[in-house]
Formats: sequence, C-alpha cells, structure tokens
Amino acid sequence: MTPSTIYTKALYDQRRGLLGWSIGIAATTALFVLIYPMIVAMEDIEVLLEQYPEAFGELFNIEAITSGPGFLNAELFSLLAPALFLVYGIGRGARAVAGEEETGTLEVLLTTPVSRTRVLVEKALALLTGVTVLGLVLFVTMIAFGPLVDLGLSIRYAAAAAASMTLLGAEFGLLALAFGAITGRRGPAITVAGVAAVASYVLFAMGALVEEVEPWRFLSPFQHAMGTDPILNGMSAGYTLAMVAVGVVAIVLGGPLLERRDVAT
Amino acid sequence: MATMSEPIAPPRSSATSAAIRTRDLTKHYDATVGIDALDLEVASGSVFGFLGPNGAGKTTTIRLLVGLLRPTRGSAQVAGHDVWSQRRAVHRIVGYLPGEFVAYPDTTGRQYLGYLGDLRGGVARSRIDELAERLELDLHRRIGDLSSGNRQKVGLIQAFMHDPQVLVLDEPTSGLDPLMQRTFLAMTREARDAGRTVFLSSHVLSEVEQIADAVGIVRDGRLAVVEHVAALKARAVRRLDLTFVDTPPIEALRAQLGVQEVRGDGRRVHVLVEGSLEGLMRTAGAAGLENVVTHEADLEQIFLDYYTAEGSR
Repeated sequence: MTPSTIYTKALYDQRRGLLGWSIGIAATTALFVLIYPMIVAMEDIEVLLEQYPEAFGELFNIEAITSGPGFLNAELFSLLAPALFLVYGIGRGARAVAGEEETGTLEVLLTTPVSRTRVLVEKALALLTGVTVLGLVLFVTMIAFGPLVDLGLSIRYAAAAAASMTLLGAEFGLLALAFGAITGRRGPAITVAGVAAVASYVLFAMGALVEEVEPWRFLSPFQHAMGTDPILNGMSAGYTLAMVAVGVVAIVLGGPLLERRDVAT
Repeated sequence: MATMSEPIAPPRSSATSAAIRTRDLTKHYDATVGIDALDLEVASGSVFGFLGPNGAGKTTTIRLLVGLLRPTRGSAQVAGHDVWSQRRAVHRIVGYLPGEFVAYPDTTGRQYLGYLGDLRGGVARSRIDELAERLELDLHRRIGDLSSGNRQKVGLIQAFMHDPQVLVLDEPTSGLDPLMQRTFLAMTREARDAGRTVFLSSHVLSEVEQIADAVGIVRDGRLAVVEHVAALKARAVRRLDLTFVDTPPIEALRAQLGVQEVRGDGRRVHVLVEGSLEGLMRTAGAAGLENVVTHEADLEQIFLDYYTAEGSR
C-alpha cells in the first residue's frame, strides 16, 4: 500500500504501534472484566471496603464496586485506562509534527504545495482516528467479555465509558500535537501536555477530597471525562463539548503559529 | 569538460526574466548572522552555483528561498512569487533538495516518491522509474537500508521528478560517487536546456564550474562576489606539484605568466599559478616533466585572490 495523503500516511506509519496498543488495551480490559466474579465472590469484600479510608472511597467511587460497572469504574476507569489513553495520545501527538521535524523528514514535506495548516489538520485527524480505534477496542472488549461473567453493563454505558477515554486521549493528544507544531520539539510537547494532564488529575482528585477545591473541579479535563462516572451514568453534553472545544482550539491556534515560524533543520 | 554556453534567455510567460531575485535578504539567528543583505538575481534558464565554505550562509539562503525560514529583513521572489507570503505558489514550481536530506526509513523509495508525487498532484510513475534507472537506484528497497549515496539519489529524484520550473539544490552531489556525479551534472544541464533554472550550492569549485553559468561566493554571511564562471576560472589559483626526470627548471617556471610562487624540493616543484596553465605546462614539458599532481583550487584562496586582484588594479 502506498499512502497518498498526509492523513493516510500518518495512519500507515502508526499501524504497528496501533496494533500493539489495541492488543494491550484489549488484554487489560478483558483481564479486569474476567476477574470481576472473583472479587464479588470474596466473602469479606464489604468488610474490606469499609476499611478503606473515606477519601479513597470518594475518589474511586468504591461503594459501587460490588456491581460489574461499578467495579470497572473503580478499578479500570479511575486511573489505568485514562493513563493508557493519555500516554498514547500525547506520545502520538508529539511525534506527529515535532517528531518529523526532529528527524528531518518535515523539511521536504513542507516544501510540497500542501499548506502547513493542512499538514497539521491531517495529522490531527490521523491522531483522532488512532485514539478512536483504541476506544472501539475498549468498547468491543467490554461488550464481548461482559456477558461471560454477568457483568451487567449496557451497551450504552459501555459506549459512554469508551467515549470518555477516547476524548481524554484525543484532547491531550491534540494539545501535544499543537505544542509540537508550535515549538518544533517533541520534548517540550510531551512535557507541556504531560504536566497539563497531571495538574488536571490533581485538580480532579483534590476536588473530590477537599471541599474548598471542589468548585474549581469543573475546569479539569479529568472531571469532564470522569466526573459523571460515565460507565454508571453516561456522559454530560457540556463536559463532552468542553473536551472537544479544547482540542479544536489547540489546533486552531497551532495552525497559524506553525505557518509563521522557522522550520528547524 | 562542459562548454561554457552563453546564458540562455528562453521565452517566459512571467513578466520578470529573473527566476530568483532577492532584495536585502537577511536572516539573523539569536546570536549569529545566517545571511546578511543578500541582493541576487538568477536569470531564468541558467544554472547558478552558490559557493562558500561550510557555515558561510549557503543553507540559510537556500532555506529562505524555499520558504522554510522567515526573513529577518528583506525579501526573495521565485518566479515573481514572494517566498514567504506566497509560499504555496513557490512550492508548486520548485524542486528542493535539502542539504541533509532525510526520508522515512521504513518506506521504500517507490512508496516515498509516490507519496510526495501525490502531494504534488500526481507524478507519472514512468518519470520516477526513468530517473531511478538513470541514477541506478533500486526503488524496492527500504530507504533505511540504503547507503547514504543511494539515499541522496532518492532526494535528487524527489527534487527532479515533477519537472519543476526552478530547482533549488543544497550540496546535491554530496555522497554520490564520481559516476553518479556526472549523471547528476547531465541531468542538471538537461534541465537548464529545457528552460529550467537551477540554483545549487557547493563547497567545491570544480563541480560547480562544470555546469554553472554564473557563480556567487558567499563568506561569513555576505555575498562576496558574483561572477561568470569563465571569469572566475581565469582568476582561480591552483596549486600544482610537478615532478621532473632531472633538475627542475625553477627559474624558467617562475618566469611564466600567472605563476605566483615556485618552491623546489629535489626533483619536485610546488607551484602556485593563476589562470591558464598553458605556458607553465609547455615549459615544464620541454624540461622533462615526469608527473603532475593538481590540487583543488581553494575557495578561500580564490576569494582572497579576487580581492587582492581588485585592489591592485
């Protein structure tokens, strides 16, 4: 196959990575789904949960753990799944333009009659496609393995949970892509997006634990992705819109800045 | 040896006869000067050699011409289009080979060239095949597995394949073996004969003097001189080592036109000579010349010599 657009070329380039990540996410998700019966079968689970500090319970919504979706919410969707989607999105995003610039392949690409903004947009679409593929893998794995263990997860809520992770990965991935396009360097792009993600998580976590921080929680993309516990309650339209808006704004600002800067050798 | 042809002025639809024109083109980096106040015109349908030692500002100038760098001051036009504000128009008509050409290592030559061809609106596969055959490049191999010379061929093909109106080539022959260098020179001549304009940089005079109609020498970010190649050659100072069967005729050699310095060393003589070697060779030949070793004319030497010559006029 010979890619003929920047979008298809970017997809083609990530084919191996995407396959590996898909397998990883499918395996992780399947594992959590399949161990669920063992956890509910534990005789003293209620006692065990009562022993957790109260704050811990707040953050991980631990009282719902004895239902299938509640279990996944606390064990998979509170930290591991978001982390996986963030690492993929940020890594891919930083590589898309800044990585090409650092290796030197951008030099020729940006002297073809394709505008720099167009390059950025096609790279963004390829990133979104990759993250969406991972989201679909997550969704399909939950739906495929759920019935084996009577997980009790509806298609609608499985979709909401997978969509929330996809959006989270996409949002920070686009942030890394835009910063990479603006600075031309992968390191700063990863750092900026990574620090933003950690800060956003801290705000989200602190908001759950500290009353004074709670009013500011709405600013955190983690709150947007996870604040409603999508696997239990679905997603909020407002939060979804906020995540889409951040990603779009990053690219809209990144385009002109990429257009008017020097390309590094 | 290439014949020095008169600069050709082929019919051009654009109003300007200069394919490349810069006005006060300047690029400053944080602490250093890339290129300073460059005023240059390259006639349509000519080959222009941009010469200078490494770090003199050649690559900066070239990257300004293809819209990768934003000028600090001044401007440049390619076929009448501003290289910064009308970048896409320039990119449509330019073929560019970077000084350090890098392609995707995990694609084959065919995939890479096909991809770039598609981004340029389609390039005939037969055209790519023809160039690859000419440069003896196997398009089926992964670029990452190619030698640096073969990778450079991929770079040359992507610059030539869409028959651009203007070719901008940064050190195009680097890494090519002598045979391929000749093929490259032939391709460049053909492009020129077809009315294309070629702007190429080099730090080797002998390479440029074979194809260029005019040469600009840049040093420390400043254009030192623009000359027709014939004039430059007449000024070039060459260093020769002559070995004689017997005692060298040092005084006779020293008396020849253009000879600047003669140093004897047993049967060998080191000579510095400007311009034509005719008189020197005739004298040496009559005196039992056994062997000649010529050294590449040194750019810096040409540059210095140019100015001493100017000053003494």
